[in-house]
Amino acid sequence: MTTFLRKRIISSAVPLVFVVLGVFCLARLTGNPVDLYLPLSATPGQRAEFSAAHGFDDSIPVQLWHYLTQAAQLDFGTSLRTGQSATTMVLDAFPVTLQLAGMTMLLAILGALLVGSLAAHRPNSLIDRIAGLLSMTAASIPDFWFAIMGVLVFGVGLDLLPTSGTLGGPEIWVLPIATLLIRPFGVLVQVVRGSMVGALSAPYVKVARSKGAGAGRVVFGHALRNSVTPVLTVAGDLTVGLVNGAVIVETIFGWPGIGKLMIDSILQRDFAALQAAVLITAVTIFALNILVDVCQALIDPRVRQAVPA
Amino acid sequence: MKSSVRSIPRPGTSRGHAVLTFLTSGIMLLTSACAVANSDTAGDTGSADGSTLRVVLTQEPPTLEPCESSTTATGVVVRSNITEPLVERDPTSGNLEPLLATGWRQTTPRTWTFDIRSGVTFQNGQPFTAKDAAFSIDRAVNSDLACNVDGYVFGDEKLDVRAVSPTRLTVTTKEPDPIIPLRISFIEIVPRTTDTKAKVRIPIGTGPYAVRRWQTGVSISLDRNDTYWGKAPAYPRATYVWRSDASVRAAMINKGEADIATSLDPMDATGDNSVAYPNNETTALRLDGREAPLDDIRVRRAIGMAIDRKGIIDALLGGLAKPAAQLVPPGVVGHNDDLVPPSYDVAAARELVRQAAADGVPVTRRITLVARNGQFAGIAETAEALQYEMARIGLNVRIRMADTATSLQYQLRPLPRGVGPIAMLVMHGNQAGDAAFTTSQYLLSEGPQSTFGTRELDRRVAAAGELSGKARQKAFAELLDYQNRTVAQYAYLAHMRGLLGLSPSVRYRPNSATGDEMRLAEVSPVKAGRH
Amino acid sequence: MTDPTPRPDAETYADADADAGTGTGTENCPPSARPPRWWRLLGRDRGAAVAAVVLALVFLVALFGRLFIGDRAIRQDLGASLRPPSLDHGFYGLLGTDVLGRSVLARLVEAAGTTLYVAVPAVLCSLVIGSALGMWAGYHGGWRENVAMRVADVILSFPSLLIAVVVLYVFAPSALNIVLILAIARVPVYLRTARAESAELRSRLFVDAARTFGTPSRNIIHRHILPIALPTLLTVATLDFCFVMLTESSLSFLGIGIQPPDVSWGLMVAQGRQYLQTAWWIAVLPGIAIVLTTVSATVLAAWVRLATDPGQRWRLTLPKKRRGARAAVPPEMIA
Repeated sequence: MTTFLRKRIISSAVPLVFVVLGVFCLARLTGNPVDLYLPLSATPGQRAEFSAAHGFDDSIPVQLWHYLTQAAQLDFGTSLRTGQSATTMVLDAFPVTLQLAGMTMLLAILGALLVGSLAAHRPNSLIDRIAGLLSMTAASIPDFWFAIMGVLVFGVGLDLLPTSGTLGGPEIWVLPIATLLIRPFGVLVQVVRGSMVGALSAPYVKVARSKGAGAGRVVFGHALRNSVTPVLTVAGDLTVGLVNGAVIVETIFGWPGIGKLMIDSILQRDFAALQAAVLITAVTIFALNILVDVCQALIDPRVRQAVPA
Repeated sequence: MKSSVRSIPRPGTSRGHAVLTFLTSGIMLLTSACAVANSDTAGDTGSADGSTLRVVLTQEPPTLEPCESSTTATGVVVRSNITEPLVERDPTSGNLEPLLATGWRQTTPRTWTFDIRSGVTFQNGQPFTAKDAAFSIDRAVNSDLACNVDGYVFGDEKLDVRAVSPTRLTVTTKEPDPIIPLRISFIEIVPRTTDTKAKVRIPIGTGPYAVRRWQTGVSISLDRNDTYWGKAPAYPRATYVWRSDASVRAAMINKGEADIATSLDPMDATGDNSVAYPNNETTALRLDGREAPLDDIRVRRAIGMAIDRKGIIDALLGGLAKPAAQLVPPGVVGHNDDLVPPSYDVAAARELVRQAAADGVPVTRRITLVARNGQFAGIAETAEALQYEMARIGLNVRIRMADTATSLQYQLRPLPRGVGPIAMLVMHGNQAGDAAFTTSQYLLSEGPQSTFGTRELDRRVAAAGELSGKARQKAFAELLDYQNRTVAQYAYLAHMRGLLGLSPSVRYRPNSATGDEMRLAEVSPVKAGRH
Repeated sequence: MTDPTPRPDAETYADADADAGTGTGTENCPPSARPPRWWRLLGRDRGAAVAAVVLALVFLVALFGRLFIGDRAIRQDLGASLRPPSLDHGFYGLLGTDVLGRSVLARLVEAAGTTLYVAVPAVLCSLVIGSALGMWAGYHGGWRENVAMRVADVILSFPSLLIAVVVLYVFAPSALNIVLILAIARVPVYLRTARAESAELRSRLFVDAARTFGTPSRNIIHRHILPIALPTLLTVATLDFCFVMLTESSLSFLGIGIQPPDVSWGLMVAQGRQYLQTAWWIAVLPGIAIVLTTVSATVLAAWVRLATDPGQRWRLTLPKKRRGARAAVPPEMIA
């Protein structure tokens, strides 16, 4: 297991280096931020002064060298926009998104296991058809549309939930999570149903049935446990995709998370904050991938053996 | 890779364990998440009782540094709430009013003297004197902080500022400058103990409110300053939050989650949740007169005639704006009351383009219409309407919606090369209240936001800038008319009006400066009986 | 609901669709000599048939719709702004007008073309590139596999919306750029799926045999691996339409999707969101178009997966009652 883990970590660390370089280059492609930070009427002298003060007049390799040497000491520079350290901004924003994504995936997985099992229990039944149609529809609704409808219907129309924001009790989580949830939930229901249908016809389930186990026990006790592996794989990839959703959800609901920080940093050409934000996301995705692999290796001995040497 | 994947593994204890761990960790995450949500509650809510004024902005202020308060996002919170200037400009009349200075006069052609108000203290208890005023001006204009206000109103101008006594301040310039008091009105006064090496995030000032807490990303809370020298504001507390989506801001007003919301969209506005006000913004198409076919004045005029201003205003801008014939809105020094927009006449416009084509102007060369995403409500639709109207008179136009940074590359000198003819949808904010700021930017042949001009126009702009009083007004008004007749760099669209979300429970009259400076002290609760 | 008796149909015929590609080689083949015609198979499955009709309709409208609507999709009339759907304004007023007074019906038709013009090439590009790389990597294993998988990791570690935002703001948001971005963002999905399939197949007897006879590896991949991996890859591809259309819509929400005067369903939803309270039809109708198309694609994908799999096609010929167990989505499908 340790060998497996070590190999996996080393081989995944290489992409991280590329991510660090890639985000630096992408950021520099977007041009010099001077115009954004000085008033329209600033003089050429003031522009040159600003460029020099923030190192934008250095050549790109020099800037890259500064960035890398600082990053090696875990210093990601100072945000142009707020004057704060980029590390502080990212560490403030990251837990918000992590919680949002964690809650979403937890609910999506639990919900999908429940609904998917019900559907698979009686394939082609009414429940199965309704679950299939609803989950497919859910997966194809644009998230920003869902979010704004949620605000208008549940926030204003029915007056059940707060419209937005992070100030308040548990009810403030409902709309953001629901918006993030719809797509992973829709996809996972289908995956659970697919693998459950397979598992329900497997020999060991037949054995369990022939021994007189009840339907609930067969579904939840035997088949479900075996469907966890594919669900885990897909859930891992869906979690990665949640970063995209987080950009939209955090923008609409005013959550100070990493998605909002990234989009603001791009629009404001705030390179330091952008680089730090993308790096922490990449590290998280990297850790998540390893976690999924380890879980699978724990669950399924074949995966452990199948790791490429 | 050898094992057959057909066989389905039997349930094993390790898997059960893993699932259990997974669930447990998930539930822990869930509870910790709720904990965070609740810790927020302790901070700033409980505000519906009417003692807290709740404002929702379009974005979080990047900083509250007073010398950045000429930027909208910072200024709307800081100016006249936390810090105050020596002189303030009445947004309605355009007159300068005393604030931390009680009077001012031009003592020599290059020197202005300000009388400083006594008996004022900063929020930290320090008394305010002319020394603080001199320090603040020096810090904003003559330091290495690269303050926004420096570039905004002073350019390369360096000021010699002296506190001659605790109540008297002199400001000396190299060249005579008749509008020094107006320029000084942009500088917010901070105590002399403020950092001069770095910008501060949370300032101390003399204003009616002081910052209690800035919960990054979430909210800014202000407390009433009980030692304020002027009239005490009605609300003991104020809270700012921010939502970038206009529908959400409107929803917060409708639901009573906020009392004031900046910049609503016309389609979300009802009589109950908002109030319209002239925001001194003017929209126009800036036509790059250096590139064919826009280098032909007939084509530029034709574009002005092809724009259905009334249709655009009614359908896309919520009927709020007024058709424009100049960059300077009414109420600003230099506005010419006699100018009227060209009448909407597609046939005549088409004829002008046809004539130009007959003279060899390549009217089918593709023009790029550049507009900035989210600059005003309905800008994407407005750009589409303009594109359609220009195409209708025989021009070939494509739209390029850009973000702020990209659009600034098109807007500012040095202008991009090799991009063909550009029609830039600009929105000019004339909050400074004087046409000098407009003309030096938009009309000079080498102006930072101008594509071309003429010597004669440059001469007139320079001459008008040195005048004052009625002569100044007349000179600017005439040169605006002259620009329209001989240069026609702009096809004007409208003098815009803003929409401020306002809950029925508060009373506030927005003015043209509200977007940049929202004075919370002017907001009061509506009496319960009249509700 | 709680029926303890075992269900013979599910037991006998159901199969773990999750690893369908892996089982085909050894599956006990159906007795019929010739496979039945595909349209007869389709006719027996009502859901799939409806989905096929909807999709066919969408494609027809996308291909030929523009011939009928003329310039109605871009013809503006500010006086006719925001007319609700009604019968009073002729055929093109049936679904109302948008804020610029353009016919929503005509725009839906026009947008169908643009939407598919973006989605189809994007999906095809990522399918071809990702599958080719993945099969090559999986077949050869070793460093090739490692490199390919790390490339996939790099792409996946960048939030795709972020790359899109950067690239589209810097290099004008043209349809071609949008296609490229969406294609690159989806390559890892196919790469991983194809690699998994081909890594599993390379140790199979028939592949070993081909190798022993000296068949070049390119031919082995083409003749032996591709046909088995294809159904899974095609299913993922069909389902990807959904992702591509939604991402394109999200890009429009951020202002960098399809640029007017072109129009796509995603752009219509994004622009119409401001009018949800006052003019629901602008945002809701294109939203329904997206949902209908993607749901149809999903249903049809499940059916095609069965129909193109020689080991499973026979299920479709069974009487309806007994086909219950086919599962819709392979776990490789990733959002």
